[in-house]
Amino acid sequence: MSQECILSGMLSVTGKKVLHMDRNPYYGGESASLTPLDLVFKHFGKEPPKGDDVYGRGRDWNVDIIPKFLMANGQLVQLLISTGVTRYLEFKSVEGSYVYKRDGKIHKVPADEKEALASSLMGMFEKRRFRKFLQFVQEFDENDPAKWQGVDPNAMPAYKLYEKFSLDENTQDVTGHALALYLNDKYMNNPCKELISRCKLYSDSLSRYGKSPYLYPLYGLGELPQGFARQVAIYGGTYMLDKPNLKIRYDEQGKVVGVEDDKGDMARCDVLVCDPTYVPEKCKSIGKVVRAICILDHPIPNTKDAPSVQIIIPQNQVNRKDDIYVCVVSNTHQVCPKGFYLAIVSTTVETSSPEQELKPGLDLLGPILEKFVSVSDLYEPDDDGKESRVFITKSYDATTHFETTCIDVLQTYRRITGENFDPSKIQRQSEDGCQQEQQEQ
Amino acid sequence: MAGRGGAQRPNGATQGKICQFKLVLLGESAVGKSSLVLRFVKGQFHEYQESTIGAAFLTQTVCLDDTTVKFEIWDTAGQERYHSLAPMYYRGAQAAIVVYDITSQDTFGRAKTWVKELQRQASPNIVIALAGNKADLANKRMVEYEEAQAYAEENSLLFMETSAKTAMNVNDIFLAIAKKLPKSDAGNANQQRQQGVRLNNEQTQPSESGCCK
Repeated sequence: MSQECILSGMLSVTGKKVLHMDRNPYYGGESASLTPLDLVFKHFGKEPPKGDDVYGRGRDWNVDIIPKFLMANGQLVQLLISTGVTRYLEFKSVEGSYVYKRDGKIHKVPADEKEALASSLMGMFEKRRFRKFLQFVQEFDENDPAKWQGVDPNAMPAYKLYEKFSLDENTQDVTGHALALYLNDKYMNNPCKELISRCKLYSDSLSRYGKSPYLYPLYGLGELPQGFARQVAIYGGTYMLDKPNLKIRYDEQGKVVGVEDDKGDMARCDVLVCDPTYVPEKCKSIGKVVRAICILDHPIPNTKDAPSVQIIIPQNQVNRKDDIYVCVVSNTHQVCPKGFYLAIVSTTVETSSPEQELKPGLDLLGPILEKFVSVSDLYEPDDDGKESRVFITKSYDATTHFETTCIDVLQTYRRITGENFDPSKIQRQSEDGCQQEQQEQ
Repeated sequence: MAGRGGAQRPNGATQGKICQFKLVLLGESAVGKSSLVLRFVKGQFHEYQESTIGAAFLTQTVCLDDTTVKFEIWDTAGQERYHSLAPMYYRGAQAAIVVYDITSQDTFGRAKTWVKELQRQASPNIVIALAGNKADLANKRMVEYEEAQAYAEENSLLFMETSAKTAMNVNDIFLAIAKKLPKSDAGNANQQRQQGVRLNNEQTQPSESGCCK
């Protein structure tokens, strides 16, 4: 739903009239942050603890269902800035980014050269080679072949680039999974251009706020759809929450004509944007993700008591095909009362016992007070919307950032409007009276 | 009445401290929420004010002795219409004006619901004012002054009847709120708003939206 909220925002600031309907009584669908805590228990079909306040005040909890951070220099941040939604939000930098090694230990992903030299991740000579690689990436300019050092970014596969810098398998794992944030090793044979630009995004994001390249909104991810929703409302959009049993109506040619609610009232439209759960018949399943939301009363061991971390467990290190991710946030993000921590462990499902696949991640957490496990299907549209004018976004994948989500959003925007999103076309409202935007600071 | 008294406006340099507060408006559609803000912020009134669009938030300052109180005023942008106001709206609000229309008992009933909603969702220290708007239409009055006042007293709300059209009590209600808001920088809800970073194109500094810098 968050993609739909972002799209609503983009469409309304560029002059489209938007009606937004949601079956849930809250904004954001899967990207909502559930509050109070009782709602989390109910969401996962569990009985909330009665009477006592083992978990403090229920309304102090804002629990994400999917684990995502924002890359500080990534596309979602650009969209937040260009649409003006950032004014409703505050963020905190995630304290640490860690990577798991076969030895069962987690190691800090070095944040700068000094940390890189002191890192326990690799040996001395390897560190030097790694540094050379990072320098190459940093100085790389797609438009300046003189700086390519003989690397053709469109032809040379990623593994060859590693070979060129003589990086060992371990360093390749750290680079591909903890820096370039690939979910698996399928990228190895693809042109190295993407690997380079992903590494660049990591280091550019890192240089913006310091400790890690990730940002997280205060009060949880659910603030993002709410922020976009408010922006849409300000641009004249209408919101209806808590609309169960919506029915999509089509004409004889299969083109959408409107959406009918359970009272039989019909809202007419030329274009419908929705997530796969509203049109399962127009989607196909492309896999599953398993996620475990865990309530802890302590920070993650071996992270220097960091209030927020991301840990990446590269697939090779635990003999899998897909990485396992651990995302941790806590009271400093206003998502739970003091003394508590929220960890989400997730991965792409490979076997018939998905929860078991999370074990290497769960084992890093220490004692767990409460665990909510869910398996979600990943859907992709089977209809490009050309005929039906129904534009369907993709389910959230297993990545722990919003980059793939943003690509989906930008592509969907293009499919709907036939053009790329151009922030310079945003209609700044400056008419009489209350239509004035006044932004302070 | 001319709209704003000079004494409440900072003319030129201000001495003393500046406190910033988030104030949210609540109330049924068409009771005059936006009109109250427009009167307060710009001294204007439009008979046929359209449903609110375009205002992210407006700011206006009020001077109290040595303190300048700066309101960051959030309007609902119509999100109240289908009960779709997001928790974000209440988040960090230190003050609220709940508006009803004195010519409609329904809107008064809805105002009571909003007060309950604030007591449930907003910060426990929030200062709430009840505004019986459209006081210029006294000949169509359906909500008695005494009834509303008694309700306000029971719930410890500030209360005034206002008219965005004639400007009656508009500045006064904001001023009354400003007086009631805690101006010390310790221990109030502002602290929450000082810890994050805001994103912008250039570089980012810690948010400075908190009180009394």
